[in-house]
Amino acid sequence: MLRQEINELLTQTGPETPMGDLFRQYWIPALLAEELPENDCPPVRVKILSERLLGFRDSEGRYGLIDEFCAHRGVSLWFGRNEENGLRCAYHGWKYDVTGQCVEVPSESSNSRFCSNVKLKSYPLVKIGDILWTFMGDQDKTPPFPEYEFALVPSTQTFTSKRLQESNWLQALEGGIDSSHVSWLHSSGLNNDPLFKGAEGNKYNLGDLKPHFEVVETDGGLYIGARRNADDDSYYWRITPWLMPSFTMVPPRGDHPLHGHFWIPIDDENCWVYTFDYQPVRDLTAAERQAMKDGFGVHSENIPGTYIPVRNKSNDYLMDRDAQKRGETFSGVGGIAIQDASLQESMGPIVDRTKERLATTDAGIIKARAKLRKAAIALREEGKIPEGVDPAHHRVRSASVVLPRDQAFIESVPEKLKARPGVRQASV
Amino acid sequence: MTGPIFPGSSVKAASAAELRFRLDYPLAPSRGVRVVALDSGAELMVRKVAETPWTKAKFFVAETAISTQGMHGGPVEVVFRSLDGAVALLNDELEDVDSIIMVASSDYGSEAAATIGAACAVRGIMTAGLVHGDNTELTVSVLRPCAQVLLVPADGSDLEALLIALRA
Ligand code: FES
Ligand SMILES: [Fe+2]
Repeated sequence: MLRQEINELLTQTGPETPMGDLFRQYWIPALLAEELPENDCPPVRVKILSERLLGFRDSEGRYGLIDEFCAHRGVSLWFGRNEENGLRCAYHGWKYDVTGQCVEVPSESSNSRFCSNVKLKSYPLVKIGDILWTFMGDQDKTPPFPEYEFALVPSTQTFTSKRLQESNWLQALEGGIDSSHVSWLHSSGLNNDPLFKGAEGNKYNLGDLKPHFEVVETDGGLYIGARRNADDDSYYWRITPWLMPSFTMVPPRGDHPLHGHFWIPIDDENCWVYTFDYQPVRDLTAAERQAMKDGFGVHSENIPGTYIPVRNKSNDYLMDRDAQKRGETFSGVGGIAIQDASLQESMGPIVDRTKERLATTDAGIIKARAKLRKAAIALREEGKIPEGVDPAHHRVRSASVVLPRDQAFIESVPEKLKARPGVRQASV
Repeated sequence: MTGPIFPGSSVKAASAAELRFRLDYPLAPSRGVRVVALDSGAELMVRKVAETPWTKAKFFVAETAISTQGMHGGPVEVVFRSLDGAVALLNDELEDVDSIIMVASSDYGSEAAATIGAACAVRGIMTAGLVHGDNTELTVSVLRPCAQVLLVPADGSDLEALLIALRA
């Protein structure tokens, strides 16, 4: 369990909250690059950390993330016209640039200085890889750009999707840390999914339902090692890195791509799940890329033109009890991502952690919560920059390895848990 | 997208407004947690955490593993000392216990750890190992074979967080 006040501290990320301040120390995904595909394209509403913002791309390709509402009388600038290096409000024609600076107030005389005093709140928006990143903290303390490997490899080697999840960010993240559910909830995916099946490790994963765990603290977060029996003299290890505040990577399978997630709060009851897949040393094949677009692996099939999953809360996730009986799915819900989402959303928008009954095997989740809480308090009380802001912390990888029984992952394979350009992932 | 909404579907009850209609029930404390310090470095840490009042958790220091009764020569019993000095035996203390948390900062308690691990395995008691202090690699090698979960490294606040999570 968790005390109520700590549950509130960890789950609330709006302005001025301790966790909100913590999230505002990091570069975080605000949009997929594909959402602003060309100069002067339509602006996009972005709600993130409970702030209502608008992303747009001007006539010269500059990106901006500004307050959604016009400074004049508060209408949504989503209705604005994106033209000639600025966004013009549809109501009375005030115009703003990508920094939120008002550049024109048509009703004022042309030599009036009025508009230079009007500036909307704005944040930087920077394209790295397939993602537009923002930094919503004190702009004087902007950290260096992120260096997650999936965003730095050539675009032919990487793919990112996103989906809406109707739950608080923390219960979504905790699903990413808790790898023991894979042998249950996703068991059929290990056999059927084109981005999972066929790996040597899958049989160990399914063969030992009582993994041992080693939770190892790192500079940026944790490595959670899950150990299962392999052969008589060896163990199969799956190692999941978690980086503060909300980045996880899933241990890979065979030659399938590496993948992982960012869990980004929209508000306290919804989050965006950014999901990436990449190959460190080779291009994704056409088949791999197509499978990701079709919602296989850890991606989701979305309603066309949206980031809302086809299988969602409003249609019971297209629950199929017959497929469940036939053994095609464990829970009756299709697709690995939606299997997770369905269960995490079923907990309610913000799960009541005062009621949960954790076991020692939940130590990874317990430790991650403790690290987040400590970091939020240290930031508030001492102004301490949290772990995971330094881009050096971003260069991690998940791994799956078979090791002799007397060896442990952290001593045996430290280099395999680092992003190393030109070196293949460690995967069984 | 339309699809099955089953008769009597409760999926819509997963809303913020509906949450307050969930059945309320008293929170049962866990059946029992034992925290065992395996050496003097661990004892210091455990003593500090034990100062907070806990509902069910009991705290011990492992003294010696007794090997004489072992059918196959291995130890089967460990002498515990509670923090106020009373003597207890491992096998008595495992009655009605869910989880054992072992804390170590060296390889001093390796025999006790192995004995505790074996006794817990037989009884289906969950075991966790907290690796305290700087002597990480050595200490890990002591706890790894006998704990289902290891925290590396761990300090007093980790033990506290674990005990709170377990409602100890
Ligand atoms: S409300 Fe935007 S210009 Fe008047
Ligand atoms: Fe999952």
